Parts: sequence; structure tokens; C-alpha cells
Amino acid sequence: MTEALVERGVAFVGAILVGVTAVVQLKNDWAARGLDADVTKLLLGLMAFGCILALLAALRILGVHA
Amino acid sequence: MAAAAVQVAVHDGHDDVAARYRDVDPVYAETRSIRLVGFMLFLISDCILFSAFIFAYIYLRTSAPTWPPIVDGHQLPWFDTSFAAMNSIVLFGSGVTMHFALENWKHLNKQKFNRWLIATIVLGLGFLLGQAHEYSVVNITWAGSTMGASFFTLTGLHGFHVFVGVCYLTILGIQANRGVYTGSKYFGLTAGTLYWHFVDVIWVALFFLFYLW
Repeated sequence: MTEALVERGVAFVGAILVGVTAVVQLKNDWAARGLDADVTKLLLGLMAFGCILALLAALRILGVHA
Repeated sequence: MAAAAVQVAVHDGHDDVAARYRDVDPVYAETRSIRLVGFMLFLISDCILFSAFIFAYIYLRTSAPTWPPIVDGHQLPWFDTSFAAMNSIVLFGSGVTMHFALENWKHLNKQKFNRWLIATIVLGLGFLLGQAHEYSVVNITWAGSTMGASFFTLTGLHGFHVFVGVCYLTILGIQANRGVYTGSKYFGLTAGTLYWHFVDVIWVALFFLFYLW
């Protein structure tokens, strides 16, 4: 098992865990109103998007350079 | 009484943050709004700072005949995507733990707040160690190419923000345990959480630009 495979495995599992948690938190906070609540929702959403990018990188769908 | 008012407001289906503070202390609610706008302006100014460097990188990259650039007859290597993906998850994970920390403070659970805050600080330090490792193994230099200059400038600037964030969260933790914040007055913790989420989101852009694009 190569070092890169271990790193991608950790990234894959971590991306699912963190991404799902971020989405659940976003759902829980959805009803909250106010400037800080709205910005937090935006930032949580972008963080969940980052988890999708990391997941795709772990699966070698993104970030594969010939 | 104030704590009870907060608890009721938080568990209400429509959690109006501003109304929650008005109910507890109208003067605090007003100063909190002003401080919040000030903090948002700071985050916007920071966003502009990163945007300037990011657009410079995009310009340099799209105007280069080949990417990675060729230096001394050799094409520079791509960055290690596998390690970066793992390190990114460490930082994104710290965003989630910071969110949990603030939620526990709102629900007056100080013990869990401390645990999640420490987890956030540890993950933040873990990310910085990961960056230091990457700097030590990456086969480019700051001065050797536009790729190296862009990479070290942007990730260095971000790393500095993470370092400041770790110090900031440590100070917030000390303040929280010394009774500076209460169940209804905790703007510092809100600002710290927003800052940490902001640092996470900046990394989403850098991760895409340097490792996935």
C-alpha cells in the first residue's frame, strides 16, 4: 500500500464525515436569522463544497495531471 | 433569567439572532450589531487581499505558455494532490469542530465547548504541520518561478491566517474560562467562529487552484 493511497483513503473517509456533518449543521441552522447566522450558513455551505472537492481528489476524479 | 431567555430563543424554530439579544440586553444588542458589521468589513477586506493574489496567480498561469512552467529546461512537477486532500480535510474538520464549540457555548455546555475548542486548535496546528511538511518536500522555490512565487505567497499568507486563528482561538478559550463571556454575551466567540470558517473557505479556493486545476 503506497503512502499516496493511505492519504487518499484518509481524505476519502474524512471528506464524507466532515461533509455530511457540515450539511447536517447547515440544515440545523437553516432557520436561524441574522447577519452572523447567514454568513455562517454561507461559509458552512462552501466548506461542504470543499469536502466534495477533496472527495473527488481522493477518488482521482479531480487533480489528475497527465 | 437571561440564560433561560437564550435557551428558549435557540430552541425556537425561527431563531432570530438579533431578537435574542434585544430580549436580553438592548444596549448589548446594539453594540453587538455594530461590532458584527465591523468584523464583517474586516473579513471582506481580507477577502479582497486574497482575491488580489488569487487573480494575479490566475493571470500568471493562464498567460504562461506551459504549466507547470519550464525552468532551466525542465518542467516543474505538479503538487501532491493526495497529501493536500488529506490536509484539507484536517482544516475543514476543524471548521466543524469550531461550529460544535460555539453551539455548545450557546447551549451553556462549557465542558463540551472546551473539548471542541481544543479539538479545533489541535486540528489547526495539524494543518500547519502538514503545510510545513509540504514546504519541506515540494521541489520548487519561492524565487525560482512564477509557480513557486504564487504558491508560497498564497499558501504562506493563508498559513499565517491559520496561525493567527490558532492564537485567536487560544485567547478566546482562556477568556471563556475566565468568565469574560456569558450564555447571552459571547460576541468574541461568534467572531472567532466566523474567522475560522472564513480561513477554511479561503483554503477551498487555494486547494482548487493549486492542486485540482
